[in-house]
Amino acid sequence: MSLRRMSLPRTKSLLTSSVAVLAAAALTLTGCGSGSGDGGGKTKLSFFSWEDEATMKPLIEAFEKKNPSIDVEFSHAPPVAEYIAALQTRLVSGTGADVFVIAAENKTNLVQGGFVKDLTGKPFMANMSKFNTETWSVDGKAYGMSISSWSAGILYNKDLLTKAGVTEFPAKWDDFMALCQKLKSAGITPYMESVTGMPLTVAALVGHENARQGGDVDAQIFAGQKKFGDLWNGPLTTYNQLFTSGVMSKDVVGLKGEQVVDEFANGRVAMIAAGPWDVTTLREKAPKMNMVFAGVPTPDGKPFWGGAASPGWAINAKTEHEKEAEAFLTFLGSKEGVTLFNQKTAAMTTTSDVTPVIDKVLEPNLQALKDGNFYLPQVAWPRVQDALNTEAVAQLQLMVQGQAKPADVAAALDNRLAQG
Amino acid sequence: MTALGRRAPALTGALSWLTSPKTLEGLRLQAFLVPIGIVFAVLFAIPLAQSLYFSVTDFNGYSLDVNFVGLENYRKIFTDPSMLAGLGFTLLYAIGTTVIVTVLAIPLAVLLNKRFFGRNVVRAVFFFPAIPSIAILGLVWGFILSPLGSGAINWLLDAVGGFGPVPWLSDGTLAQLSVIVVAVWSSTGWHAILYLAYLQSIPGDYYEAARVDGASPRQSFFRITLPLLAPAITVSSLLLMTGGLKVYDLPYTLTKGGPGYATFTITQSIIQSGIAQAKFGQASALAVVFMLVVGAIVAVQLVLSRRLEDRVS
Repeated sequence: MSLRRMSLPRTKSLLTSSVAVLAAAALTLTGCGSGSGDGGGKTKLSFFSWEDEATMKPLIEAFEKKNPSIDVEFSHAPPVAEYIAALQTRLVSGTGADVFVIAAENKTNLVQGGFVKDLTGKPFMANMSKFNTETWSVDGKAYGMSISSWSAGILYNKDLLTKAGVTEFPAKWDDFMALCQKLKSAGITPYMESVTGMPLTVAALVGHENARQGGDVDAQIFAGQKKFGDLWNGPLTTYNQLFTSGVMSKDVVGLKGEQVVDEFANGRVAMIAAGPWDVTTLREKAPKMNMVFAGVPTPDGKPFWGGAASPGWAINAKTEHEKEAEAFLTFLGSKEGVTLFNQKTAAMTTTSDVTPVIDKVLEPNLQALKDGNFYLPQVAWPRVQDALNTEAVAQLQLMVQGQAKPADVAAALDNRLAQG
Repeated sequence: MTALGRRAPALTGALSWLTSPKTLEGLRLQAFLVPIGIVFAVLFAIPLAQSLYFSVTDFNGYSLDVNFVGLENYRKIFTDPSMLAGLGFTLLYAIGTTVIVTVLAIPLAVLLNKRFFGRNVVRAVFFFPAIPSIAILGLVWGFILSPLGSGAINWLLDAVGGFGPVPWLSDGTLAQLSVIVVAVWSSTGWHAILYLAYLQSIPGDYYEAARVDGASPRQSFFRITLPLLAPAITVSSLLLMTGGLKVYDLPYTLTKGGPGYATFTITQSIIQSGIAQAKFGQASALAVVFMLVVGAIVAVQLVLSRRLEDRVS
């Protein structure tokens, strides 16, 4: 169907005014303003964060102390959908904050819409890890400053494994399946992972296959040179063994992540797929548990992890306070800023001059980040991330229930990509 | 006589009509409609016009340079299997909850209308599920209906009958059933209180006369109570049907629309396409189609209810 341009001034005006109404409503929801005017002799720099105020307050206070002429106006919406929606309405109505978060879910739209400044070559970017910067880059230009990453793998209860006679966690998938069968025979539920979102086990297995095929298969799929089946069929067949062999209950399609963590904390399951965010909860619920992280075993014995660079901070392309926004990012990426962020969030920061203080159990995860052995499809996909993720989860649930084959999942992803 | 001279009586007449106490009173009364008119325009008419406009464009929520795409968005929604699945469950949910809640709420209201010890406490207990946010109820019921053996209901089934665990939320059909059951649980008490209000307006003389004439309690219910509750049934079922068609929070918090697309709803699809996937045009087209479907269903329901009211009155 032919497209007819409609970018008339009146059309824009109607859109702008209508979106402004929405933005006003969004502002009342977030309970904050986004003005960036000058007041009281200070420059007001608006900052729209998806970390909450308790997390960001110490950083903002330290920044304001160092920059007494700048007053940071903080506003917040929780990730992901609520944040994306609020930012979207604010940007399109021209009331976007000077500094905000760029995430996998809005990266393409922010860059294509010209809402974010090119940060390539800025002095504060020198300190960032190459991987993090590449994650928030498009066509070689960096649009976000990301100071941390995360990786998730299999968290196991060492005591339960020892009880079943296992002394070493396997690296090969077949050995992992044998371990699961051994645990099952001993009356212990071997492995559990919620399938109400993208399973980390799948992310790790697909990531391993992607690395095996050269590391740029997603780019080839989106360029039309390959199909999803070329990358996903093998890992999904491997993953599906968990269900066809009865090692993992099909009920995981109806379980939330926190229910799985509860099962693990209460010693009812030996292994779960988990990330750094689960460690704090488990330390509270099961302080005496002897737990260990390991990468997801793979067919060739090279464990892989689910993971990605954390969302980045971006500067509004239309900011009137570019200098102040850059000063803020400079502070956030500085040794002091990163240390404060690590203290507040226990995040695995990846800047060159700070060694993050993390829970001892997360050391293998940090090593995986250093080795680059992690992958997350939603971040690797250059566009249509949410639609593909929704489709993948729905199809995986059908596969787990035996209503779809691994090839069906990949074919559904191809169809979804074709729909755009 | 000049033209002005001929018009003078007419102008005077119009002026006197305009300043007459009756007209002024009418205008004063009309003025009370202005606030609701503004609310209607801002919250309904303008968004509706926007949705209609967006539905024929490729507006993505970010770029103001929009292109006219004709009916392309409408074609896409009718070829998307997830949206069709969403429509199927939405209709099942709306019809299921409307029928079951109505069937349960009326006898419950009759029961709560009787005099017995602790009646007010019992009324409060039944009304309680309507108070907490549906999202919170969804989270709590997620644990109660957990398909694991440690889930509350499965634990009970095992302790009492030694069977289970039942895959309440991990089997497509059972997940649909579970969502509807939780919705019925949370709505029945509220609708029973609505029926109770109507019940209390039925004169006791009718029942007295029926008893004197030898009518059984069953006959009293079907010949007096139910017919006189017809207006309440119209209101209650209309609220249930419109609420059911727009449902989002309960299925989302319980199952996120799964397994597969078993409990996926139209509203979830609209929100997901419009916000998370930046397909405002497509989401608007779905919203327009959905509005027409809801309008048609509610219109049919109203006509049937009115006919029923006429028949029984």
